[in-house]
Amino acid sequence: MSLNKFIVLSRSVRRGRNLFAARVAQTGEYLYQFQSQRFIRSSSRSLAYAKDLFLGKVNKKEVFPYPEISNEELEELNQFVQPVEKFFNESVDSAKIDREANIPPETLDGLKELGLFGIQIPEEYGGLGLSNTMYARLGEITSLDGSIAVTLAAHQAIGLKGILIAGTDAQKAKYLPKLATGEHIAAFCLTEPGSGSDAASIQLRATLTEDGKHYLLNGTKFWISNGGWADIMTVFARTEVVDKDGQKKDKITAFIVERAFGGVTSGKPEDKLGIRGSNTTEITFEDTKVPIENVIGEVGDGFKVAMNILNNGRFSMGGAGAGVVKKLIELSAEYAGTRKQFNRRLSEFGMIQDKFATMALNVYVMESMAYLTAGMMDRPGLPDCSLEAAMVKVFSSEGTWICVSEALQVLGGLGFTKNYPYERYLRDCRILQIFEGTNEILRMYVALTGMQHAGKILTGKIKEMKKGNLGVVFEILGKKIKDTVQTADFGLTGKDGVVHPSLTESAKMFEQNAACFGSTVEGLLYRYGKTIVDEQLLLKKVADVLINLYAMTAVLSRSSRSISIGLRNHDHEVLLTNTFCKDAHFKNNYMLSQLQRYSPENDDANIKKIAQDVLAKRAYICSHPLERTF
Amino acid sequence: MSASHHLLRLQCVRCVSHFLGTPVRQVILPGRAHLQTPGSQHIYVQLLRPFHRSAVCSTDRQNRTDIEKLVEDETHHKDKTLVTHDDIFDRAAGDSKTKVEFNRVVDVFKSKDIRRRGHVEFIYAALKKMPEFGVECDVTVYNKLLDVFPKEVFVPQNFIQRMFNHYPRQQECGVQVLEQMENYGVMPNIETKVLLVQIFGEKSHPIRKFQRIMYWFPKFKHTNPYPVPHVLPSDPVDLAQFSLTRIAADLDAKITIYQYPSTDITETGEEITRPHIVGIQSPDQRSLLAKHNPCKPVFVEGPYPLWLRQKCVHYYLLRADPIPPEEKVEEEIDPEMICPEQSLFFPQRVELDLKVDMGDDHSFNVDEVEEGAVYAMCMAGQGDQATLSQWISGLQETCPILGQIPTVFRLESGPRELQTSTDDHQRPEQEAETDQIIEDDEEPRHSRGVKQ
Repeated sequence: MSLNKFIVLSRSVRRGRNLFAARVAQTGEYLYQFQSQRFIRSSSRSLAYAKDLFLGKVNKKEVFPYPEISNEELEELNQFVQPVEKFFNESVDSAKIDREANIPPETLDGLKELGLFGIQIPEEYGGLGLSNTMYARLGEITSLDGSIAVTLAAHQAIGLKGILIAGTDAQKAKYLPKLATGEHIAAFCLTEPGSGSDAASIQLRATLTEDGKHYLLNGTKFWISNGGWADIMTVFARTEVVDKDGQKKDKITAFIVERAFGGVTSGKPEDKLGIRGSNTTEITFEDTKVPIENVIGEVGDGFKVAMNILNNGRFSMGGAGAGVVKKLIELSAEYAGTRKQFNRRLSEFGMIQDKFATMALNVYVMESMAYLTAGMMDRPGLPDCSLEAAMVKVFSSEGTWICVSEALQVLGGLGFTKNYPYERYLRDCRILQIFEGTNEILRMYVALTGMQHAGKILTGKIKEMKKGNLGVVFEILGKKIKDTVQTADFGLTGKDGVVHPSLTESAKMFEQNAACFGSTVEGLLYRYGKTIVDEQLLLKKVADVLINLYAMTAVLSRSSRSISIGLRNHDHEVLLTNTFCKDAHFKNNYMLSQLQRYSPENDDANIKKIAQDVLAKRAYICSHPLERTF
Repeated sequence: MSASHHLLRLQCVRCVSHFLGTPVRQVILPGRAHLQTPGSQHIYVQLLRPFHRSAVCSTDRQNRTDIEKLVEDETHHKDKTLVTHDDIFDRAAGDSKTKVEFNRVVDVFKSKDIRRRGHVEFIYAALKKMPEFGVECDVTVYNKLLDVFPKEVFVPQNFIQRMFNHYPRQQECGVQVLEQMENYGVMPNIETKVLLVQIFGEKSHPIRKFQRIMYWFPKFKHTNPYPVPHVLPSDPVDLAQFSLTRIAADLDAKITIYQYPSTDITETGEEITRPHIVGIQSPDQRSLLAKHNPCKPVFVEGPYPLWLRQKCVHYYLLRADPIPPEEKVEEEIDPEMICPEQSLFFPQRVELDLKVDMGDDHSFNVDEVEEGAVYAMCMAGQGDQATLSQWISGLQETCPILGQIPTVFRLESGPRELQTSTDDHQRPEQEAETDQIIEDDEEPRHSRGVKQ
């Protein structure tokens, strides 16, 4: 373990000058941009990939070529990866953690020694100072144990992220060093018992004391990961803020709260389905005195802080899911290769092969999306990757669930027992679809944010058209006719193309989908206007199409790069890419046709009616098949 | 049988009377249309009656009852008076009109004459009397009535008989039995079908009627989404709970029993009956009440009737006047919490200056009339103000704000009206509305009931 520390130190000396200096500048810049982001976009990077897809645009510069890290960085990363991998293979007893619902202290100490509690904390504060890409790589390994992964994520992906991205230098200097070593553990306290969709749901209140130097926190937070262990907490509370009209308003503010401030009590750890080793509790604050220096960002800016923390943390789930599934492919492939049924190996059966293909495809897409997004986030400037990160989260959480279930199915009954790790992985990965924004909320977020973006640009055009401005009508008609005559071409292929020629067909499919998506979004906006927010079933389809489009982009970009630089087994990547793109293309076509007006494929009205009938009675309402009337 | 049978039937009245040597009564066989008019069976009953004596009647002398005597008497005096089968039922049953008595009359009729002479008239009479005996909803009784028809006699034997209306009077009578079943919502059973097939054959009118009933009845049996059980709970508290949940139409609404019915005897020997008070309130109503402006009064109104099959119960409302538009407070939500650019909660808004396209707006223009909120409902054993104030003070335990709101009782003496409508001298009192405001800011809660 001391070797690792040595590596860290030596690395920090080596890299201190070049890389890190840049990163400090970046985070320092952050606050400024953080506040001004709504009005002024930094001119260096105004391109957003996913948002522009809503306009039927493909900003290929954003996603091609596939982002890579430098050789030195890769070397360093591998130096980290090996000891971490070794630690997880040898010193972590996941079955025991799951059984006893507790991570043993020696395991935690090992993690601390490896520096895993400060992966993204800059080196000057004693962390590893790794980039998002490298963080995602380490996440692949830490995810081999769900409980540890969640503990680490709650600590650094959300718990201390607030200090990291919006804290003052004094706050950073005070808290980060101890957090980086794992001496202090962080937690993120946002959720409350009544948390829902309205602002009023945050009831934890911070009131300024009479001397104006402290806030008193009173209230309860629910489902706090690391709640029982955390020494430093990022707490979101309602504060009274006088706005510019002179009216008093409740706004949310983020605070750094130390357990040592007093009045903080944690409840009993929740007994959960999965990630049982992680510590999830309720935390109650009773007259906890927090000095005003501990406000993160400005008073009343808490909501933006929370959003930024969450939006930027989600991408890592792609790596985590891929890590789990890759491991399970190895395990179940070994079983399929040795187990014989009807004098044939399991691996010879088509249906078993199908499962492995599904798993490989999913892992490939998850990985591609995760590292594409991480790479985008690592670029200088302030990239707007929240949509992409949300899409990675949605795709990978669902993909992981499917893959783990398929791996379990390969083993049949054995997979269902506790003798094998499959059931534990299945339980553990279920949480991925729930936490850090449920997939439903993220789908709404993805779809509506994009709609808003497209709407702002299209509004003028549509209004003109509704007014009967013939010029605009003809312009749009002309564009429509041009679209139907010409096939969509965004210049991905052909001369100056960015996609490798062996993927031309897939790239064409992507282009076709992207063009159709743009016009469908326009149609939806035209049809529904701002009432689109109530059409959740449509928005779900919009989000799904977009996720597929982004996934197609990611695999196209990645495999193009792989072929070009001649990575090992790139022919397999081409195969995966073509298979996935074809599948996604047809799925997209179906969903896009469902989104058309009066589409016969669209069953939304029926689905709504079924749900309403059931929910009105709060039960399944059909008569039993054995019932009779005479 | 066949053709001769048919001819015989047409001539039966004349033949029989001729055979007996009695004066021929002018019997008109009315057409079908006539038959179907309601109440038309009286005509037959009066026109036709059994006028000859049965041979079977005297076989079993030991079991003779007074009913049999009656029937016999009737046949004895056939020449003297015009007696209908109605009278048999009336006289046979006397005071106790039950299913047993009814069945006995039918049994006696059946055993009296092997030819079942006059059975059509008897069945019509029986149908008319069924509600009196309280058997109108009993399928076994209908089957028993159908059993009165002689079997196989009316079954058409060839295509001509099948083509024409074979034994129309009997078939129509059979239809009438089924019609009455239909009216009372009685579902025929397999026995009914067997009987009808035995009596009228496979393709007769009664069978068609039977098939139609069997087509529609099962379809309609469960159409009511809010079914009322056939047997209502007898306990008033249970009944009140059932009725209130039925009106509330909110699955979250919670029933509270503020007071169980009880009778106490005080030291002075006076008997004090405490009526039951059962209330219902949903969480939504509670939060609405909590937001009520304490300067505005709330009203206790009632009683309003609620019919449960044959039973009428009454309930009371706690309600408020609609809030005038100028006093409405719109709850403002921080825009950053609901805008699309946030992924934390649920994006609820897009900032677009676009409405639904005209061609896509499928909503109806509904003119909504605003009403005041209903905060709670209750049912009580007595509709007086004292009882209802007890309900209000019970409500205060969950909604303390109610203590600051003036409560106005606007009670009409509705339920008493139903019970005492015969007493004319009570009228003026009933029409007087008790309209009294109770303001209790300092007074203890329980004194409220006394205050009136």
